[in-house]
Amino acid sequence: MSPVEIGVASVIAIVILIYMGVYIPIALGVVSFVSIWLMRDNFDLAMNLLKIAVGDSVMEYTFATVPLFTFMGLVVSKAGLGSDIYGVMSSGFRRVKGGIGMATVGANAVFAAVTGSSIASASVFSKVSVPQMLHYDYNPRFAVGVVAGSSVLGMIIPPSAMLIIYSFVAEQSVGDMFLAGVVPGLMLAAAYVAAIWFMGRFFPDFVGGRPAEGYERMPWREIASKTLPTLGLIVVVLGGIYTGWLTPVEAGATGSLVALLIAAVRRRMTSRGLWEALLETGHITASILFLVTAASIYSRMLGLAGLPNELGDMLAGSNASFFMIMLLYVLLMLFLGTLLDTASIILIVVPLFLPLVEPMGLSLVWFGIITVVGAEIGLLTPPLGISCFVIKATLNDDRISLKDVFLGALPFAGVMLIILILLIRYPALSLYILN
Amino acid sequence: EKIKAVVIDGYPARSMWVQEFTNFFIPEMDKKLAETGNYEMEWQESYGGSIVKPKGVLEGIKLGLGDIGIVTTIFHSSKLPSQAIAAVTPFVSPDARAVAKAVDEIAREFPTMQNEFAEENQVYLATGVVLDTYQVFSVDPVTSPKDLEGSKVAGAGMNLRYLEGIEGAAGVRGGLTDFYNMLQTGLVEQALLWPEAAATFKISEVAPHMLAADLGAVNSKTVTVNKDYWDSLPDEVKEALQEVAILYRDHVANVAMERASESRDAYVAAGGTITEATAEDRAAWAAAMPNIAREWAEGLDAKGEPGTEMLKAYLGKLEAAGFTGVRDWTAE
Amino acid sequence: MVPAALKKTVTVLSTLGNGVAIGANVVGTLVVLGLVLIVNYDVVARGVFNAPFHGAVELVQFSMVLVVFLQLPDVVRVNRLTRSDGFLAVIGHSRPKLAAAIRHVIDTVSAIFMTLIAVAIWPEFTDMWESKDYFGVPGVFTAPWWPIKLVIFLSATLCAVIFALKVLSPAPRPERVRLPEHEDTE
Ligand code: NA
Ligand code: NA
Repeated sequence: MSPVEIGVASVIAIVILIYMGVYIPIALGVVSFVSIWLMRDNFDLAMNLLKIAVGDSVMEYTFATVPLFTFMGLVVSKAGLGSDIYGVMSSGFRRVKGGIGMATVGANAVFAAVTGSSIASASVFSKVSVPQMLHYDYNPRFAVGVVAGSSVLGMIIPPSAMLIIYSFVAEQSVGDMFLAGVVPGLMLAAAYVAAIWFMGRFFPDFVGGRPAEGYERMPWREIASKTLPTLGLIVVVLGGIYTGWLTPVEAGATGSLVALLIAAVRRRMTSRGLWEALLETGHITASILFLVTAASIYSRMLGLAGLPNELGDMLAGSNASFFMIMLLYVLLMLFLGTLLDTASIILIVVPLFLPLVEPMGLSLVWFGIITVVGAEIGLLTPPLGISCFVIKATLNDDRISLKDVFLGALPFAGVMLIILILLIRYPALSLYILN
Repeated sequence: EKIKAVVIDGYPARSMWVQEFTNFFIPEMDKKLAETGNYEMEWQESYGGSIVKPKGVLEGIKLGLGDIGIVTTIFHSSKLPSQAIAAVTPFVSPDARAVAKAVDEIAREFPTMQNEFAEENQVYLATGVVLDTYQVFSVDPVTSPKDLEGSKVAGAGMNLRYLEGIEGAAGVRGGLTDFYNMLQTGLVEQALLWPEAAATFKISEVAPHMLAADLGAVNSKTVTVNKDYWDSLPDEVKEALQEVAILYRDHVANVAMERASESRDAYVAAGGTITEATAEDRAAWAAAMPNIAREWAEGLDAKGEPGTEMLKAYLGKLEAAGFTGVRDWTAE
Repeated sequence: MVPAALKKTVTVLSTLGNGVAIGANVVGTLVVLGLVLIVNYDVVARGVFNAPFHGAVELVQFSMVLVVFLQLPDVVRVNRLTRSDGFLAVIGHSRPKLAAAIRHVIDTVSAIFMTLIAVAIWPEFTDMWESKDYFGVPGVFTAPWWPIKLVIFLSATLCAVIFALKVLSPAPRPERVRLPEHEDTE
C-alpha cells in the first residue's frame, strides 16, 4: 500500500469505528497502531510510537491553558456572570422584534470572552433566556435555535479550547490564535443579530414573540454592577494577552483567580461548588488532552507513512487550485461535523491538510480560524450536534423535541457557513488584529 | 542499490540548519555516492512535528522513528551533559566556525560525547553551531554590564546562569518568541539573544540598544544516526555520511556567521545602536560569574568521564584558533 | 455456583478499581488548584518582587501530566471519555443484545489498547528510575522524569482494569449527551 492509500484507509477506518461508538481517542490510537505495525511489519516500532506520543504530548507548557480557562469558565458560570450580562442586554433590546433573541446573541458574545467552551454557553443560556422567550410567546424553535447558534461563539471568541487545540496541532502561538479569533467572533455575532432582524421582518411567524409589558429602564447602578465584573475579567485576560503582559497560561491562571474573587465577593462560591468546578475541570482536561494525545499518535503515523510529503508532491504536480482545496476542506469538515465533535474534527483534518496549505504560503493562523469555525458548524447539525443535545437535555421540556432544536438552529448554521466563506475569501478579517 | 533514509527534526523546514540539510547535506551525499554509483539514497524528510517535536528528536532516533536526526542538545542536559561544553565557557569565542570545529574534534578525540549518544542507541555524526554569540539587547541605552544591575533580563537555559554574577540582576525565563513582548511591556529591561534571532523577531523595535558583550558561540545541534540503521549501512555509505557531516558542520557555521553579520547590519539600519563592551568590562563580568565550566567538568569527572581534560583540550583548541578567553575557566 | 462466585469477584474488583480511580481523581483535582496557585505565584513574584520563580515551567508541565493521567481512570469510570454513541443508542432500542455485545467488544479493545500503553511505558519508567534523568536546566531548576512515567504507567493500567470491569459488568443505559456534572447556580 502506498502512503496515500494507508492514509485514506486509516481515515475511513477511524470514521467507521467512531460511528460504531468506539471511544474517539481509542479509535485514533488503535487504527494508528495497527497501521504502523502493518506498514513497516514491525510491532516494536508501533510500540515505540505509543511510547513517544503518550509521554510527549501532555508535557506541553501551553496546554495548561486548557484546565485554566475551563476552570475560569466554570467559576464565572457559577458566579452568575452569564445571566447578569443577559439581564442587561435583554433590558436594552426588549422592544425590538426578536429583541430577546438579539440580547441572547449579544450576551453570548460577551460571555464568550470569559469562557472557553460552547457547552458552558449552551447550558447557561438555555436556562436563562429560553424560558423568558417562551414567556413572551416566541416560537419555541426560534428560542432554542438562537441559544444553540450563539453558543458556538464561546469557542470562536477567545479564550477557546478549540483555538488552543489547533495551535498545538499546527504549532502556532496560542496568543496569536486568540487574537485572530476576536474579529471573526464579533462578525458572527453581528451576522446573527442581522439575521434575527431579517427573520423578524420577513418571517415573523418563525420568530414569534410580543413586546414586553411594564418596561422599566434598568438603573445605571445595576447595569454597572452586572457588567463591570465581566468587563474587568475581559480586560485582565484578553488585555493581558494583547499587550503581552501575560502569556496565555498566565492569563488563564490570573483570570481564574479573579473569577474566584468575584464569586467569593458575591457569595456564590461554596467550598462544595469550588470542589465540583475543580473536579469537572480535571475531567474535561483529561478527556480533551487524552484525545489530543491519541490524535498525535495518528498524525505521527501519517508522518511516518510519508503522507505529508506525498500530498505535497501531489499538489506540486497537479493544478489543484486554492478554491478546490478549500472547497474540499469545507465539505470534509461539514461531513465529519455530522457525527464528530469539534476537537476530533480539528485533530483529524488538520494534519491531512497542513502539508497542502503550508506550501501555498497561506497563513496558518488564518487557516486555524477557518478550521475552528468550519468544525463548529457541526455543533448545530444532526445527527450529532453537541450544542443542540446540551440544550435539549438542559431544558428537559417535553414540548420541545430534539428535532425542534435542530430545525431552529439550522438558519444559524447557514449564517455560520456564509461567514466561513467570507473568512476564507478575506484572510485580513482574521489577521488584521495581529499586525 | 537503493537505501531509504528517514530524516527527522521537530523544527520546521524553514529553520536554517534544516534548510541546509535539505539544500547542502543531501545533495552532497547524493553527489558523493554517484561517484561510484553503487548506492543511491532515497530520502524521506519529515520535519516540523510531523513525526517528532523538537524535544523528541533524541528519543525518536533512539526508537527508530527516524534514521537520521538533528538533535537539539540543549534540551537534554541530563542525557547529554557533555554537550554543554560551549555553553559553560562564555567569553571565549564569538566565532561559530571555531566553536563547531573544536566541539566536533572533542567529540571525536574523547569517548564521552559519543558514549552519551550510544546510550541513546545512536551514532554521533557532526556538531552544528547555528548562532555566533549571545549579546545583550536593551530597552534603554547600555554601555557596560553595570547597566544590568538590578534589572530583569530575559534568557533561556544555561545563559540565565551568566547573570548570577551581576548585582541584583534577575533572569526571567522565556522562549525566543516571547522576548519581543517581554521587552515591549517592560516585563524585562534586557534580553540575552544572538543577532540573527534579534533580526528575526524585530527586537530592534523594542530594544534598540545592543551591548556587544560577545558572550560566545554555543553548539546546540548534533546530527545523529540510529544505531541499528547505521549497522545496516554498507561501509561506503557510512564513510560518505561521515565526510559529508564534516562539510555540513563547517557549512552551517559559515552560514551562521554570514547571517550574523547581515543581522547586525540590519539591526543598525533599523535604528539600533551597538556599543562594544570594553575588555575590562567583559573580564569583570566573567570574573563575577560562578565558574560553571568547572562545575560542569567536575560533574563529568565524578561520573568517571574525562571532564577536566575535555575542558582543557577544548579551550586549547580555541586558543590555537586564535580565541583566548577573558577568564581562565580551567583555573581554581 | 460458579457464575455467582464470578459475579461476586467482579463486584469486589469493581468496588476496588473504582475506589482507586476516585482516589487518584481527588489528587488530580487538587493539582488543578495547585496549577492556578503556582502560575499566579510566578506572575506576582516576577511583577511585584522582581524575583521570578524559575521552576514555574517545569512544575506546570509536571502538573499537566498529573491532572490528565490521575483523572483519566475516573473519566473512563464515569463514561465521559469522548465518543459518539448515537448508533449504539439507536440499535439499543431494537436490538439490545447486539448493542450490548458491541459495547463489550469496544471495551475489550479499549482495555487492550490501554494495556499496550502501560507495557510501552513501563521500561521508560525503569530506565528513568535507574538513570535519575531530569528535565529543566541544571543550576536553574530541574525535575525528575521517573514520577511522570510512573503516573502514566499506573494510569494506563488502571484504565485497562476499569475497561475490563466494564466488559464483565452489565452494560449501562446509553446516554446521548453528557451534561456539565454540577448544577450551575443560575
Ligand atoms: Na471563548
Ligand atoms: Na453535527
